[in-house]
Amino acid sequence: MSSQLKRSIRQTLTIARRDFIATVFTPIFLLFLFAPLIMGSFGAIGGLGAASVADGASDKTRIVAILPRDLAPAMTTADTRLRAAFRRDEAPPTLTVIEPGIEPGIAPGTDPKTDPAVVAARQADAQFARHDLEASAVLYGPLDAPTILYGARGSRAADYLALVAGDALAAQRLGSDMPRVVATKRQVVRDTPSASGQHQSAFFAVFGIFFLTLFLSGQVVGTMAEERNNKVIEVLAAAVPLESVFLGKLVGMFGVAVLFVGFWGTVVGQIGALLPPGAAAALAEIVPAVGLPTFVILFGAYFTMAYLLLGSVFLGVGAQASTMREIQMLSLPITIIQVAMFGLATAAASHPGTWLATVAEVFPLSSPFAMAGHAANSPGLWPHVAALAWQLLWVTIFISVGARLFRRGVLQSGSARPFWRRRARHAKAN
Amino acid sequence: MASEWAVTASGLMKKFGQRRVVEGVDLMVPRGAIYGVLGPNGAGKTTTLRMLLGIIEPDAGTRTVLGHASPREASDRIGYLPEERGLYPAMKARDAIAFLGALRGLDRKTGRVRAAELMEQAGLGHAIDEKIRKLSKGMAQLVQLLGSVVHQPDLLVLDEPFSGLDPVNQEKLEALILAERDRGATVLFSTHIMSHAERVCDRLAIIAGGKRRFEGTVDDARGMLPQRVLYTPRDAGEAVALALPADAVRDGNQWRFELPAGGIEPLLATLIDGGHGIQGLSIERPGLHEAFVRIVGRDAVDDDATTLEQAA
Repeated sequence: MSSQLKRSIRQTLTIARRDFIATVFTPIFLLFLFAPLIMGSFGAIGGLGAASVADGASDKTRIVAILPRDLAPAMTTADTRLRAAFRRDEAPPTLTVIEPGIEPGIAPGTDPKTDPAVVAARQADAQFARHDLEASAVLYGPLDAPTILYGARGSRAADYLALVAGDALAAQRLGSDMPRVVATKRQVVRDTPSASGQHQSAFFAVFGIFFLTLFLSGQVVGTMAEERNNKVIEVLAAAVPLESVFLGKLVGMFGVAVLFVGFWGTVVGQIGALLPPGAAAALAEIVPAVGLPTFVILFGAYFTMAYLLLGSVFLGVGAQASTMREIQMLSLPITIIQVAMFGLATAAASHPGTWLATVAEVFPLSSPFAMAGHAANSPGLWPHVAALAWQLLWVTIFISVGARLFRRGVLQSGSARPFWRRRARHAKAN
Repeated sequence: MASEWAVTASGLMKKFGQRRVVEGVDLMVPRGAIYGVLGPNGAGKTTTLRMLLGIIEPDAGTRTVLGHASPREASDRIGYLPEERGLYPAMKARDAIAFLGALRGLDRKTGRVRAAELMEQAGLGHAIDEKIRKLSKGMAQLVQLLGSVVHQPDLLVLDEPFSGLDPVNQEKLEALILAERDRGATVLFSTHIMSHAERVCDRLAIIAGGKRRFEGTVDDARGMLPQRVLYTPRDAGEAVALALPADAVRDGNQWRFELPAGGIEPLLATLIDGGHGIQGLSIERPGLHEAFVRIVGRDAVDDDATTLEQAA
């Protein structure tokens, strides 16, 4: 290793170490580290509130069957049998069976309205006006040709009522001859990844990297402002090449990100061990094409590259900003860029092998996201070697361009004015 | 074999926008010397130093630093105190010095040990573990200065090192510069305060308007002006003026004039013969300040004074 390279590495690590320590050993870092917990707590409180409101409404929701008394047991039995197929939160509303009534104040046979069918229809309509329950769907009439009324969002409840009616009718007609199926259930663990599992793991990979970089890489944008405001930059620029300063700051903040991910990864891993067997089995279905161990390594590599790529761009742009206000103004375009890359990579993960996927995999800023999705969808490993080299090249380019802009813009004139202002001023002067 | 020059510069030029800041500056800084770069504000001193250090690249011209065409290659052997001082406020003083040393290749452990020693020597022993934000401006400036020498550089570049320091700390700084020279380092510093340059510089260059106007020793600079005679006659009358050179100026009882080309002896004889007598007589060499004013021009110095007043 040449002495020049050794010196560059040493200088980069010196800057990185300073930034890492200056960031981590502050009370604010604790706030940053536990931000997901705070965010999760607020989410949980909001979720509980929303769930209690939803539960209050669903407690009163009913499906109603208007049937003669002799048909009620068959209907209730059929409901019990069919309801077992649903998960609790997906089950249809509770079934209420009521007898057909006579419209109050009208003597039977004196008015056409006393026709039982007409009365049943009126009674069914009246269910939707009740205050003690909220009818989702109402069945009346003979079981072989019932009429089912349903309100808004009651279509599936109406379908369910029709199913229950059919089952009840079959039970009534066949009695003890009604065939009963006794199935043997056995869970199967796939040997090879399923297509849906691969797609799911692709989405998780893209979303995971997006989520982490969204939280973490944006921090880099304001790091050069510290040196500019403290006027330390002159000392750094005299002692260390600006490229090393930029890379050092990027590596330092990446260290902070790794600490964050490591902490929460451990926490989530411990929670994952407590998952019920069913959930664990469901997760086991999400198998990427390259295999889980390789996928984990590639995920880490692509997260690193996504951080370095986006971070180097944000660092270069942020270095031109001289005030906190300018840095804050940059947060919106930064988020937009990240969301755009996420959208592109998600589309690529959903359509592997298409031109869109190729564009997302080649475009430097979306490449880590898209290639993580690629790892989930396709077993080949050599594209990842090429992609990582390609992304590393762009990290180098972004850092070089950022350092050059900084050197030419901020250091050259000693002016704190960013390059876009100088350009504007120059254009105005001309 | 190492060159006898620590720094050389030939035809350095720099333009910022349409403005030429440095126009063909040449410098030859001998190894082991204290070399001053003098000039009024805006003369191009800082830009010249920044080009020598590789912070910015010259538009034209060449330079070598400690034998290297690229200053970066010698960066571990250079110490630098910029005109705009800056340290991380949350860092402890000792860590700040060690950090500056680490940037120049000094390992952190040695840096911390040397930082403590240097702070003790500079009378800052009580502030070793104080954070920079708690130090006074002068103390922080001294800490940064110590940070520029902690790795024992071969070349120490100081840009306006005396500005912002009280007289006591200015004396400490002068002592430190001399100590660095005695250690074997070359010290290159810029200033527009002549008294410091006069006391410590072995050689100096005077820059004004982006151009080098003078290069040589302090004595060379002072020698550019004729010696000055201060004469007080026994009688206070105006008649003595007839015997004095035409440029003689009266200040109270005393007359000032340049030493005549033929020496003082013929004039003394004339004065004694004329009965004016001699109550006081001294021959002075003009100070660097006067030489500077002569070299740079009164306008530049007046502009500089105005700028300083405005800054104050």
